[in-house]
Amino acid sequence: MEGSSGKSILQFAPFQSSVDEGFWHRLSSLKLNKFGIDDSPIPITGFYAPCSHSQVSNHLTLLAESLPSDSSEESVVPEISRGNRNRCSVPGILYNTNTVERFHGLDKQGLLKAEAQKIWEDIHNGRALEDSSVLSRFLLISFADLKKWSFHYWFAFPALVLDPPATLVDLRPASQCFSLEEAESLSAAFNEWRNSSLTADVPFFLVQIDTNSHSTIKHLKDWETCQSADGHKLLFGFYDPCHLPNNPGWPLRNFLALICSRWDIKSVHFLCYRENRGFADLGLSLVGEALITVPQGWRDHPYVPNAVGWELNKGRKIPRGISLAKSMDPTRLAISAADLNLKLMRWRALPSLNLNSLSSLKCLLLGAGTLGCQVARTLMAWGVRRITLVDNGRVAMSNPLRQSLYTLDDCLNGGEFKATASVNSLKRIFPAVEARGVVMAIPMPGHPVPSQEEQTVLNDCRSLHDLIDSHDVVFLLTDTRESRWLPSLLCANTNKITITAALGFDSFLVMRHGAGPFSSSHDSKAEAANSLSADMSNLGLTDRDGGKRLGCYFCNDVVAPIDSTSNRTLDQQCTVTRPGLAPIASALAVELLVGILHHPHGIFAEGDVLNSSNSESSEQPLGILPHQIRGSLAQFSQMTLVGHSSDSCTACCSTVVSEYRKRGMEFILQAINHPTYLEDLTGLTELMKSASSFELDWDNGTDEDDDDCVDV
Amino acid sequence: MDALSWDGTLTSRDFLVSARAFAEKWKEFNSAFPPWTWVPCPPKQPPCHLPQLQQQQQQGYLSLEKTCLPGSSKKGHVASQEDVDEISLTEGEEELEPVDNATLVETNNSPQVCYYDFHIVYSDSYRVPVLYFHCYYIDGHPLGLDEIEKDLPACSAKVLLESKWTFITQEEHPYLNRPWYKLHPCGTSEWMKLLFLGDDSLAKNGVAVEQYLVSWLSVVGQVVGIRIPFEMLNNPKSCN
Repeated sequence: MEGSSGKSILQFAPFQSSVDEGFWHRLSSLKLNKFGIDDSPIPITGFYAPCSHSQVSNHLTLLAESLPSDSSEESVVPEISRGNRNRCSVPGILYNTNTVERFHGLDKQGLLKAEAQKIWEDIHNGRALEDSSVLSRFLLISFADLKKWSFHYWFAFPALVLDPPATLVDLRPASQCFSLEEAESLSAAFNEWRNSSLTADVPFFLVQIDTNSHSTIKHLKDWETCQSADGHKLLFGFYDPCHLPNNPGWPLRNFLALICSRWDIKSVHFLCYRENRGFADLGLSLVGEALITVPQGWRDHPYVPNAVGWELNKGRKIPRGISLAKSMDPTRLAISAADLNLKLMRWRALPSLNLNSLSSLKCLLLGAGTLGCQVARTLMAWGVRRITLVDNGRVAMSNPLRQSLYTLDDCLNGGEFKATASVNSLKRIFPAVEARGVVMAIPMPGHPVPSQEEQTVLNDCRSLHDLIDSHDVVFLLTDTRESRWLPSLLCANTNKITITAALGFDSFLVMRHGAGPFSSSHDSKAEAANSLSADMSNLGLTDRDGGKRLGCYFCNDVVAPIDSTSNRTLDQQCTVTRPGLAPIASALAVELLVGILHHPHGIFAEGDVLNSSNSESSEQPLGILPHQIRGSLAQFSQMTLVGHSSDSCTACCSTVVSEYRKRGMEFILQAINHPTYLEDLTGLTELMKSASSFELDWDNGTDEDDDDCVDV
Repeated sequence: MDALSWDGTLTSRDFLVSARAFAEKWKEFNSAFPPWTWVPCPPKQPPCHLPQLQQQQQQGYLSLEKTCLPGSSKKGHVASQEDVDEISLTEGEEELEPVDNATLVETNNSPQVCYYDFHIVYSDSYRVPVLYFHCYYIDGHPLGLDEIEKDLPACSAKVLLESKWTFITQEEHPYLNRPWYKLHPCGTSEWMKLLFLGDDSLAKNGVAVEQYLVSWLSVVGQVVGIRIPFEMLNNPKSCN
């Protein structure tokens, strides 16, 4: 070109960008807390250092401290300190748009030109001699999608274009250009320059080598004084971020523009300063000579040369993008923190903990009162993610104190449905929870329904049936005994893991129901959910107690329990309970579930009692698996009991379950409408006559309309 | 300190002493590597209605940034699934500027380099140092844990797999307030105690606080490929 045969065009390796995560974090925070929709340009600071690796170029880096500080930000990010040899500050400007359309619509040519003009002016007014970093001034455009935590961005490193381009006379490693003495003196001078906090971050300088081989490094503003001495070599040096052996890096471009327009030098000797392990590396550094023809018009000040410098993305002229959802999305952070907590427990204490079985488990909570709230929370703490809450009540003013998912806000305007408020609350606590609320009344025996409401009740029965069918575990946490009857029956029918918690004033009962009466022969669904094989279910049934199933909530009021002092129905007094009771009972209910899930026999596991001689269960990592836990706050005591199923149980005996299977909804309606029907069917009427010492309050249950009744 | 009764932990004051000693020693024996620097952090101000705690000790952490681990470079940057959907970015290339023949068009076959930032932060709860780290490609894209596990030297994967004493977890950096990876400290005091008890000279002379971080990093560093020169371990300095 231009007839300069044999001389090649001097080609510069483009600057490359690197953006630390911290930059985007601070930009997001500033956008949210300070800038709002103000999209005026923001001055920023980039950092670079000489290349320090023979294979890798240094990049212009943006860090959190590249942005102005955000006072509302909690983090303690150190402010920019001058004189850091590895962080030479470079001024830049950020255009952060409010929409992706604005981002794409920015006049990129115009923005680049505007920055180039600033460089051009700094060259002409001499500012570039005082603070040479302005020669590397850069431009960043971005769009921060704060909803998706993704960022679109594009850097430009404006370079004034020499036209015609500079040609290369010679370029070789610096080590080949100096005598031994010169090299030694030069290295020493460089190391001094780089180690002084006054000069370490000054990226452009003059290198003067005297005839006696003595080298000095000087500031650009001292150029005039360098002219007086005779016989020395003068090199224009700069921190070169580029590692390539045959090309200087990008900063030399504007340096050449300065050299030719200010000092009118046609043949420029330059030095690309590069390092290795913190010391000048003359093998990596380059020394070259370039010929410049001062372009037409450069002497007129109003003229601004063309500029180039938009950074390519993998060779293409497109912007870059980064998604930081992993480190910014609070939901994902909460999930990983919750997982970590459970994994720590597994690593440190419970290697057999099956976290997958917990996270995929579907739990149905009947009742979202004191017990329901607390059970839901404890389930989430164990890593259970799928929770359905059933309740037809609304949050009352007295509720938030005892029912841990509610606040006063939920009580206003007549009160939110508990099913809705509890789900919202669970999601606020842990956004990844898959919680569902169902507003529904549970049909109860002994509460006759008028014929016009029959259809509604039947629909409720079917809904409850479907809900139980579609869950793996059912918790009975309602406030009355009779509301537990239908779910107990449905669970016995489908052989679901069922856990009951009930409260008295200062005593509680927590128990798991045994398998249903036909569990071994008919139902395989529940077994599958419990990951038990058919063999295991048989094994469970033919246990050493002669095939006795564990009882359900209703069996135990009929079958004489082992400890007669505990033989009181606990939830009859629908009055008040000591506030500490519900959290204790709820916690035990969930722990009982976790025990069942980790027991090899699952729902069929025998009931262990404390100090049980059964060595097999004491070897279980979670300890014994009781059938019932009865506790009393009056004595601060707790005991484990076993009660087997009763043949005349109104909820789980084979007579009742097979009657339900035969007659379905008709049977349910009859039970609801005719108080004595169930007792007659199961022979309980007979039993009651013979066992007058037990007071059974089947149908003198509490008035369900009484709203002052404490939900438990 | 008597090595036998020592529980393997460190006070925050001792951490400062040990950190200073460690940074100096590192510079002395590892001059070829970038130095560990102490990053001071202003203590977080509690809300003004709470009483100020008396203890206004200097807070901060040791930092070694932009380290290239040996043998950790990759052949190609496999764009992770989460990269911003390319569609919105590639609405066609733009003709931004005139063709410039002074711009080098790079043939992009330089190796993809990963950088590591390491911070040694004192944990008040465990009373031991904790190694936090952050790993990113040269353009700033952070690596996920799965990518880090692939990138770490082969020996560290083995250490992680076999050891019961540590694991990598992601937690919020106590000073930067964004998630970093860390080696969980819950076993640290136990094995530090074993480490010191096994050393005859330490058993004789008592626990030298100055030596704590050197010994600690000689173990922890294996996981992330930081090597401690043998001389550093072998040369316990007496207290000044």
